[in-house]
Amino acid sequence: MRKLLITGISGGQGRLLAKRLAGQWDIIGVDRMPWEGAPRDIRVTTMDLRTKRFENVLRVERPDAVVHLAFVRHFRSDPQVRHEVNVDGTRHLLDHCAAYGIKQVIVLSSSYVYGAMADNPMYVDEDHSLNISRTFPDLRDLSEVEGLVSTFLWRYPEVATSVLRPVNTLGYYTHSAIGGYLKLDIVPTVSGFNPMMQFIHEEDVSEAIVLALEKTLRGVFNVVGPGAVPLKTALKAIGATRISIPEPIAHALIRQLFRFKLYQFPPEAIDFIKYPCTVSGKRFTEATDFEPLFSLADTFSSLAQ
Amino acid sequence: MKHADDDMKATGLLQNALSSLTSAGNFWAELREELDERIESIPADLNEYGYDPWGFNPDVLKRWMLIPAFLYRYYFRCITTGTEHFPEGSFLLIGNHAGQVAFDGAMVSAATVLEADPPRLARAMGEYWLGTLPWFNVFMDRVGSAVGTRKTCADMLRHGECVLAFPEGVRGMNKTYADAYQLQEFGMGFMRLALESETPIVPFAVVGSEEQAPGIANLKGLGELLGMPAFPITLTFPWLGPLGIWPLPVRYHIEFGEPMYFEGDPNDDDERIREKVDQVKSTIQAMLRRGLAARKSIFF
Repeated sequence: MRKLLITGISGGQGRLLAKRLAGQWDIIGVDRMPWEGAPRDIRVTTMDLRTKRFENVLRVERPDAVVHLAFVRHFRSDPQVRHEVNVDGTRHLLDHCAAYGIKQVIVLSSSYVYGAMADNPMYVDEDHSLNISRTFPDLRDLSEVEGLVSTFLWRYPEVATSVLRPVNTLGYYTHSAIGGYLKLDIVPTVSGFNPMMQFIHEEDVSEAIVLALEKTLRGVFNVVGPGAVPLKTALKAIGATRISIPEPIAHALIRQLFRFKLYQFPPEAIDFIKYPCTVSGKRFTEATDFEPLFSLADTFSSLAQ
Repeated sequence: MKHADDDMKATGLLQNALSSLTSAGNFWAELREELDERIESIPADLNEYGYDPWGFNPDVLKRWMLIPAFLYRYYFRCITTGTEHFPEGSFLLIGNHAGQVAFDGAMVSAATVLEADPPRLARAMGEYWLGTLPWFNVFMDRVGSAVGTRKTCADMLRHGECVLAFPEGVRGMNKTYADAYQLQEFGMGFMRLALESETPIVPFAVVGSEEQAPGIANLKGLGELLGMPAFPITLTFPWLGPLGIWPLPVRYHIEFGEPMYFEGDPNDDDERIREKVDQVKSTIQAMLRRGLAARKSIFF
């Protein structure tokens, strides 16, 4: 049986993926947090990617493939910690993969790397510039991770390296930033703005990772779900209570709420509920025949559970 | 059976009599009904929530189209010819731009919905900064327009949509009456897009728009100061304040020409693209000249 290492295995997507591939792959997982009640055939070790212990795992186990999911995606921790875990963690991982001859690496990035801007074209492809650090410096770790991976991709052509950039991911297990936002008791929106947003179900993201793994994909791919709706239509479908904040005070108000930990998203995130950040999934669909299983309605109802 | 038919006829007659008595009240309802029906038969790729990929929503269009449709029928009393030339699938609508405020765009859009068979949605490409305007940015998406990036326009054409563009831009819209019906410099972006997506171009000429608000001067410097692309002086603006932008009740003649097909490298040198652009431009100029010669009165 081929051996697969999943980093960040205790997170929602890590668990989904591990359970899905258990039996077909010999799965080992690492995470900074333990996975209580993990299936017995999945070996989970608690550690940080930046430690010598992690290097030992790769040296001893020599997995056939690595799926890298160990990213801090929320804003609750110190931005510096987030940056270190995400960027340094990825750098260490890639260094070890090169040193120990790992043959396949899949990194789960995000469509947020393109940034949300008023003059964004709709449905950008993978060659569009990664503008996130321009408008949202706290998220620059996303584009730095992508930079590290694309350097790795060109430097080690013998490794099948792929980067997946899924759109807003929703589901029961995944604690995504967008999921957290949509599930707030009262969801703030900005008056006069209602951008088109794409959504994908967490299990379709798992499916996309499995396809990338099985087809030994190489390159960068947007991963798109069943379609797009305006933000407020999504909120209505979820049954959320919404409050409109006038644009001139939205920034200042959210800055204060965030500072006092009354709201979990920094003011820069407002751009994502004002302007479009939509991507085209054509390249991935052509490479894998991927087709999302979950409709928009299914995807929204996965939050309501 | 026969009885039933007669009964129906009698009720029909009664309804007709009643409706002519209350024709003023029915008039909006009739226009709304016609619009609803036409907008529903616009070919559109809507998802389960009623939106197309770019955020177009027919229900929103039904509500807002009432205003341009009213102006189309009863204010500018548009006479439109040539909608039978519309190809199936994607095409670019390219025409002259005039009249200080883009009523010509609204009237051409109304014509594509009210006159074409099947009705088509003319998707206008807006300036980049419109995306930052609260409410307006949403309105623009819902009625089928978009921020006019090259990528969005190319995607729409590949998707079989009809895209409306005025290659003269403000150069045409805010010129003075001395240049009436003289086409200004055409941008070349539309031709590169047409070549890239192998889309036919349907030229159109609007006669009437120049007289709706004849420009006496354009104070570009003042416009720049106010952050506007132009600052026109007309018979009524700025003398009557914001009311001064309201157009005179001229009659519009809109002519859609036969589709033009171009082939070539979309990344060709400017001069080569310019030649093709000039073919479109001279076609529109000829249509304008014909339209002006045939026009008997500006207002009637």
